[in-house]
Amino acid sequence: MSNDNTTGGGGLARRLNPLRLPLRHRLGLLGLAGMAVLPRLVSTSFVVTLSLAYFWGVYAMSWDVVSGYTGQISFGHGVFFAVGGYTSALLNLGYGIDPVLSIPVGVVLAAAAGLIIGVPALRLRGPYLSLVTLVAPLILTQVFIFRSDVFNGEQGLSGVSPLFGLQTFGGEVAFYYVAFGLFVFVLAVLLLVTRTDAGAVLTAIREDPDTVAASGLNPSKFKIMAFVLSAAIGGLAGAVIVHTPSGNASPTTLMTITVNVEVIIAAILGGMGTIVGAGVGGILLILLREQLAGIAWTVPVIGQPVSDINFLVFALITLVLLFVMPGGIVRTAIIAGRRVLDRGSGEDTVATDGGTAPARRVYERYTDRLRAAFGGDDR
Amino acid sequence: MSADTHDLTDTTTEEYGPDDGLLVLDHVTKRFGGLTAVDELSFAVDEGEILGFIGPNGAGKSTTFNCVVGRFPPTSGTVYYDGEDVTGTTAHRMVKRGLARTFQEFRPLEDRTVRANVALALTPDKLFSMQGLSGATRQRANELCERVGLGDRTELSPNELPHAGLLRLELARALATDPKLLLVDEPFAGLSNPEVERISELLLELREEGLTLVVVDHNMRGLLSLIDRAIVIQFGSMIAAGSPEAIRTDAAVREAYLGGDEL
Repeated sequence: MSNDNTTGGGGLARRLNPLRLPLRHRLGLLGLAGMAVLPRLVSTSFVVTLSLAYFWGVYAMSWDVVSGYTGQISFGHGVFFAVGGYTSALLNLGYGIDPVLSIPVGVVLAAAAGLIIGVPALRLRGPYLSLVTLVAPLILTQVFIFRSDVFNGEQGLSGVSPLFGLQTFGGEVAFYYVAFGLFVFVLAVLLLVTRTDAGAVLTAIREDPDTVAASGLNPSKFKIMAFVLSAAIGGLAGAVIVHTPSGNASPTTLMTITVNVEVIIAAILGGMGTIVGAGVGGILLILLREQLAGIAWTVPVIGQPVSDINFLVFALITLVLLFVMPGGIVRTAIIAGRRVLDRGSGEDTVATDGGTAPARRVYERYTDRLRAAFGGDDR
Repeated sequence: MSADTHDLTDTTTEEYGPDDGLLVLDHVTKRFGGLTAVDELSFAVDEGEILGFIGPNGAGKSTTFNCVVGRFPPTSGTVYYDGEDVTGTTAHRMVKRGLARTFQEFRPLEDRTVRANVALALTPDKLFSMQGLSGATRQRANELCERVGLGDRTELSPNELPHAGLLRLELARALATDPKLLLVDEPFAGLSNPEVERISELLLELREEGLTLVVVDHNMRGLLSLIDRAIVIQFGSMIAAGSPEAIRTDAAVREAYLGGDEL
């Protein structure tokens, strides 16, 4: 954490006093305030796009708390979104339970799913865990297709009651605030977890679980906490989105390979292991994708309009951004801002976890383990 | 046969109980498949002593060590710590009981400063805690860095530290857990003689402050002036025990090292 915060030593209230916060935190608060008044300034269609973007911010943050912080890469986070979403939708459709009550059940079941995948994952490191998370959504998708009578296969469930009885048409602004409220709530919860001691322990697990144990801390406990928290928040996002016009309980909204991959891209693009970066990344991902889908300009040589090949263009832009900003957009922006303001004292590290480009660190550890697992170089 | 080897014959046949020392190993055996790495090893570490735990490479030192600190459980036998049976207790629980260790290969957290490495070991093992944010934790971490001679390097990243600095960081992290017994794994490998002397001084000071130490090494270099007593193992069994001087002249020990490492 930044210097002025750690030496401050005062109470929580003092630490959160906006006037005492570092500039980047004040800018962040200003940004949130701006987002809160945005629906008054922009078109309805942009309000709808932004609503979806907030959900993606939450998806990406939920992924970040387990993969960005502990370094256990999940390739199938959609499982948790799906468990939350389908649970809430099925309860609502089948038993007429109000979304306000069915959403918490979805969260609990998603947390249970996190426990089911997280506990065996304690024995798995690096690539093995990733394989498990890669296969889990495939299994769930097959179950949904196999029991189409319950889950309606790849079409998913429709006709779910909207949250708070809001109207799909005319209620765009209200749904915007639902999504925005969820985003702010999750951001606050995850910042609280990662900016207190648990954040330092989680990133330490990413570095070396044995060192964490030698420091008298139980790595398994913290890993499970990260997994369950991440799953619960993913489940919450999934459960809420099915009751809004932003999505429905279908694999496309919650669980396809595209969803699983884009969540990872969003978090890495924004800044893995920072929470804020993942949230920003999720929002930017949707905005960028929607922007590209709206460009009718025809690309020369290929003779295709951008809107038809938007995912390709999107992937290429992502690739370039990852090369240019390996630490993510938020980290790069903070470093650039600091350079401009000439406040570049070495003390104030970018993220509270003190991470130097965790994406690179996670990648290095991951490849080390791959090599160890497959005996790449006679070890 | 010398008097020391007679001593040794006594120690191996003797039954050890929980109260024979701060740390007691009673017939500890560890097998990996068909390989017996540690074979019915029994010894006790007295409170306040510095014990040398010596053996040629591959003698089973690290395996014994790992059975004690809880990295893996022994196949059979009992480990007592502070009068209690702690066989198979996990690593973090052993640390909480007051048994800390250093890693021979040095395992700092490279993503954070020296101070943050030490501060992590001061963090309570709770899912929600804000203690790490307080000035007191920072202050304590600074003191510990000062204590091991890293006072002027708290802001550095571990990969900026020289070899001896990393050893000091290992010691600081271990001390941060407030141990009663500290297992130091091969501290002197790769250190120059003046560095060995300075680290020895530090370890002696820590003993003066009430710490019990077990120093593992594959030879006696640097240990002679440091340790009170030594245990020598080979092929997972004890071959000698006694004062450092007696160990150096022991026939079985000379045999074990013949043609190999200089003792």
